[in-house]
Amino acid sequence: MTTTLQRRRAESAPAPAPVRRHELRTSIILVAGLVVSVLALLVSVTIGTAGVGLGDVVHSIRVSIIGGTISADFASSYAVITQLRLPRVLLAFAAGAALSVSGVLMQGLLRNPLVSPFTLGVSPAAAFGAALVITVAGTNQLPAWATIAGAMVMALAVSALVLGIATARRMAVATLLLLGIAMTQIFEALTSALQFTANENTLQAIIRWTFGSVNDAAWRDVLIVGIVTAVALPVTLWFSKDLNAIAFAGDDAARSFGVNVGPVRVGLIALSVALAAIVVSFCGIIGFVGLVGPHIARLAIGADHRHLLPFAALSGGLLLLVADAVGRTVIAPAVVPVGIVVAFIGGPVFIYLILTRRNTLK
Amino acid sequence: MSLTVDHLSFSYGTRKILDDLSFEVAPGAFCALLGPNGSGKSTLVKAIAGVHRARSGRVAVEGRETAGMGRRELAKVVGYVPQAGDAPFDLSVREAVMLGRTPHFGLAPRAEDRARVEESIVRMGLEELAERSMSELSGGQAQRALIARALAQDTRVLLLDEPTSALDLRYQIETLQLVRQITREEGISALIAIHDLNHAARYCDQVIVLHDGRITADGAPAEALSAPVLRTVYEVDVEVAVGEEGVEVRPRVDAEGFTRTGSRLDELEADGTVRAGRIVGAGQTVHSGQTARSVRTEQPAATSTAAAR
Repeated sequence: MTTTLQRRRAESAPAPAPVRRHELRTSIILVAGLVVSVLALLVSVTIGTAGVGLGDVVHSIRVSIIGGTISADFASSYAVITQLRLPRVLLAFAAGAALSVSGVLMQGLLRNPLVSPFTLGVSPAAAFGAALVITVAGTNQLPAWATIAGAMVMALAVSALVLGIATARRMAVATLLLLGIAMTQIFEALTSALQFTANENTLQAIIRWTFGSVNDAAWRDVLIVGIVTAVALPVTLWFSKDLNAIAFAGDDAARSFGVNVGPVRVGLIALSVALAAIVVSFCGIIGFVGLVGPHIARLAIGADHRHLLPFAALSGGLLLLVADAVGRTVIAPAVVPVGIVVAFIGGPVFIYLILTRRNTLK
Repeated sequence: MSLTVDHLSFSYGTRKILDDLSFEVAPGAFCALLGPNGSGKSTLVKAIAGVHRARSGRVAVEGRETAGMGRRELAKVVGYVPQAGDAPFDLSVREAVMLGRTPHFGLAPRAEDRARVEESIVRMGLEELAERSMSELSGGQAQRALIARALAQDTRVLLLDEPTSALDLRYQIETLQLVRQITREEGISALIAIHDLNHAARYCDQVIVLHDGRITADGAPAEALSAPVLRTVYEVDVEVAVGEEGVEVRPRVDAEGFTRTGSRLDELEADGTVRAGRIVGAGQTVHSGQTARSVRTEQPAATSTAAAR
């Protein structure tokens, strides 16, 4: 028995050609995605009313990193690039990446291609948190950190509540989905109630908050969202093998492969909703990226989470970056909030995917 | 003994599903797990696979108790093939088989894992389909891919949970032949939950009959598949023929539900005799046998022997 096994093993030692081709293709797609992302980030900095060229962007980045002098007539361009444009495009990219990774986790763990990071009611909860702070303060001149804190506290509290209840019910997928629907209804009703009682100023502030945007991006926002995403991604990659087992083989088979399904699911869903909660708190509600980003990535690189997770970060980041660039140009000098643009782009893209790729979205 | 189950019990809450089961499956043996729906076949398979953790009793693989192993360690000695189910996302056959290597590698598969996957693919005759996506496969092909996945897992015990139930006759036979061949060649112990008595009799070396979470019979097909046992367990009159080609089980019931001797099935006692039916008030039942069915006859039927061989 052992001898036949060894013989067969010896024969099949080198990886077959299709496997090597597949690996090469995967690596090329990942590298290409990375290159395109960097280029898109640079180009999108040049977009806007104040004319800035690609050379100016590169020069500004070099000066701000290595140091150097800037001439007096370049000072305003430098300020626009480093204080307005760069934080804006980086926040858009980081937020898109975070939402997309969050969506991959949610879809894989719940074994459902139609769920998104907001399925558990994170976004209505965050909106209510922000609205509550605005209403209590009674002004639309609040500092940004107040609404951010309100939104984040509420979003994380609701996520913890949903996960707590679901854990008590042994993390059944249907329980999670239904709890999410219930939370969404409850918090939308609560926000509506606040809007109903709000005065004109606070009502405007509440509604403005819900339009997800990166208009007021500051370096502080970029750092927080960026660092959280950069830390979360390697963690998810560490569990990508377990994620594969759960998503493709189901709970029972995943357990038989040695995966601790319960703890892995709770932990990764907690990470997923935390990512979504942080993005929503800083940028407002940006729908569709968390749903479409993962699907675009799956079409490009396949469903294996080892490659899907990093590529989904790129595809989600790019999607939001492009949507923001479009929002800044369509009715320039006015800026359409990226949350609205991305829904306009993401909706049709998603319908197209549903109609053309039945297998992938089965 | 490759697989030893000793006084295993399992319950969902207060409902007892498995009640003090003990049996052994030898290395290289293919064992069938028979029994009606709800008799605990699936639960037993999952309890051994570590999908459920049993409440009491012990399971040992080649003398090592599985209770002391971590999940991952257990996954290296016990493989599990579920019924072919729908995956929400698409995967190539090769990627699907690689899932079986999950307990063996860390972050990414190594050369050894890839070699084992290719070997399993060849073993199950899936070379032509390796690049195809799982959703394009027929039921039989998908089931073969799942068995290849379990083979890639490289375990000493192979558990199959009704792998043939959704397959047509040809694929049923093909699957059973393959599992039988693999158990022989690799010297592993295979346990298969299955409904078809004749397939079990033909392809398996050992048959265990479960009834209400207990073992009613355990032995070679010719011993375990006796007419009285099957009548008790399935509540159907059967005839068991032992011929040169092995054991064959035939139900002795016509389309209207009458046995060959003309009596209603409900009236059959476990030993093959027909019990006297009596009319009691509506909704009330009288039964003296092990069956919990109501007596529906209007006339006391003549006691006749339903020809137990």
